[in-house]
Amino acid sequence: MIWKKAFSFIIRDLVLATSYKFEFFLRFFFMLFSILTFYFVSKLVGGAGMAHLEPYGGDYFSFVLIGIAFSGYLMTALRSFSESIRGEQMMGTLEAMLVTPTDTSAIVTLSSLWSFIFMSFRVLMYLVIGILLGVDMSNANVPAALLILVLTIICFGSIGIISASFIMVLKRGDPINMFFMSTSELFGGVLFPISILPEWLRTISYLLPITYSLSGMRHALLQGYSLSALAPEISALMVFSVVLVPLGLLSFRYAVNRAKMDGSLVQY
Amino acid sequence: MKYTIETHNLTKKFALQKGFTDFFLHPFRKDAMTAVVDVNLNVKSGELFGILGPNGAGKTTLIKMLCTLISPTEGTAYVNGYDIAKDSGKIRESIGFVTSDERSFYWRLTGRHNLRFFAALHNYYSDDAEERIDELLSLVGMEDRADDMFLSYSAGMKQRMAIARGLLNDPVVLFMDEPTRALDPGAAQNVRKFVKEHITGDAGKTVFLSTHHLPEAEELCDRIAIINEGRIVAVGTLDKLKAGLDKPDPGLGDVFMHYTGKEFERGAAPKHVYQGRRRMMGGGRHGGMRF
Repeated sequence: MIWKKAFSFIIRDLVLATSYKFEFFLRFFFMLFSILTFYFVSKLVGGAGMAHLEPYGGDYFSFVLIGIAFSGYLMTALRSFSESIRGEQMMGTLEAMLVTPTDTSAIVTLSSLWSFIFMSFRVLMYLVIGILLGVDMSNANVPAALLILVLTIICFGSIGIISASFIMVLKRGDPINMFFMSTSELFGGVLFPISILPEWLRTISYLLPITYSLSGMRHALLQGYSLSALAPEISALMVFSVVLVPLGLLSFRYAVNRAKMDGSLVQY
Repeated sequence: MKYTIETHNLTKKFALQKGFTDFFLHPFRKDAMTAVVDVNLNVKSGELFGILGPNGAGKTTLIKMLCTLISPTEGTAYVNGYDIAKDSGKIRESIGFVTSDERSFYWRLTGRHNLRFFAALHNYYSDDAEERIDELLSLVGMEDRADDMFLSYSAGMKQRMAIARGLLNDPVVLFMDEPTRALDPGAAQNVRKFVKEHITGDAGKTVFLSTHHLPEAEELCDRIAIINEGRIVAVGTLDKLKAGLDKPDPGLGDVFMHYTGKEFERGAAPKHVYQGRRRMMGGGRHGGMRF
């Protein structure tokens, strides 16, 4: 039954997204620009920093392509849950949804599905364009990459739900979103390997799930690491999932109860 | 279960948001305002029960508590035998909610797409949903415009779609929050006729309707509760409410005056105060109220 409900949300969002046709196509078109920017940056960088890139195959463009593609999932998770609540509040549709038997957490989760599907399509486009520009993924271990992707979505999704809990209560000024948005690019290994960071700063990197997600994804897609070789990243993501999933659910339940008590459920 | 809706001393107090000065000078002081006070009501099955009061009297807050959108501060209430605090899921399975807010639909979807989506939230899918949607579109006379975008509908059509949505799950109780507020007199009359003939008449549903429109309450309701400053000041049939008055052939306006001591219009909250709130304690310099 949940699949049918999920399908209804996807259809709703697909129809809404395609009703703004120009914006829909522009989003695809401008996707190319960031990839090309990093392609030319990699030409400039050349072999510099090779020692740091060696564990990931030695090519900067391949490294950064995976970084910008998959860090998008974190950004989607951080934005989509809270934006779906805020969007429905502003459109005025949230109350009509909350008075149905569908649970509030299901409404928020399913409202974000379209964003994750769109992000996945975007990642696929990134990878295809990357391959066309010379990125070698001939040895990719696809099942391992998919496992890491699932764990990544679970971790990032849980962080997004914690972030949405703050939005539910505070309406604006969510500290989780601000923290992960500002630290992930710097410490998560999106644009450069974390080995470049001073050791004391690297400690922060090890506390972020994105570090393990990107490292695992690069090893799986660019070097074809086996599941056993990816055990450190997979284990770390599993530990994050075990902690973050219940934390996300509990915080969201608390936030909904608090908003109902405040009478601010549909306030923005 | 003797009554479809029962409330026992139902009360709602809202915390007031603090201004910057109070936030720093009195960080632990909690100011509140009371929107609904000790409401005790019983609504029978199949009854069209009206809650009449001016803007800001607490009607919407009361309905939202019964629909489980707002938690009560004190007291209890049962809808279809379910406790609003403990069985919110069960309640939402058996109620429909019709609001006058036309923004509560997706304007860039068609009417049918909208109903299909909300049907899924009520766990109706595929053929079951389509059958129910066709039936409701025909009932509210929207079958010819169902595949047009919602944004192209008139206010009356939007309200008809809101009623169709409220009936999607064939609810036992239909809550209607000022369903004719945004409509012109003709459209409002059509909605009233529809409610009387089809929803309570043919379908035999219990309707809990809030209104600040005296003729609407007079025309539609089997029984009326008058709410003023969050308190129910009188409940009964129109005849019963009129019985205590000396004036010959009194109207509902006279009844309101008798029980509250105010002209109906004068009972309205000041325009700068958001609906459903009155300050209970604390000073008057705090920020906007939350809802």
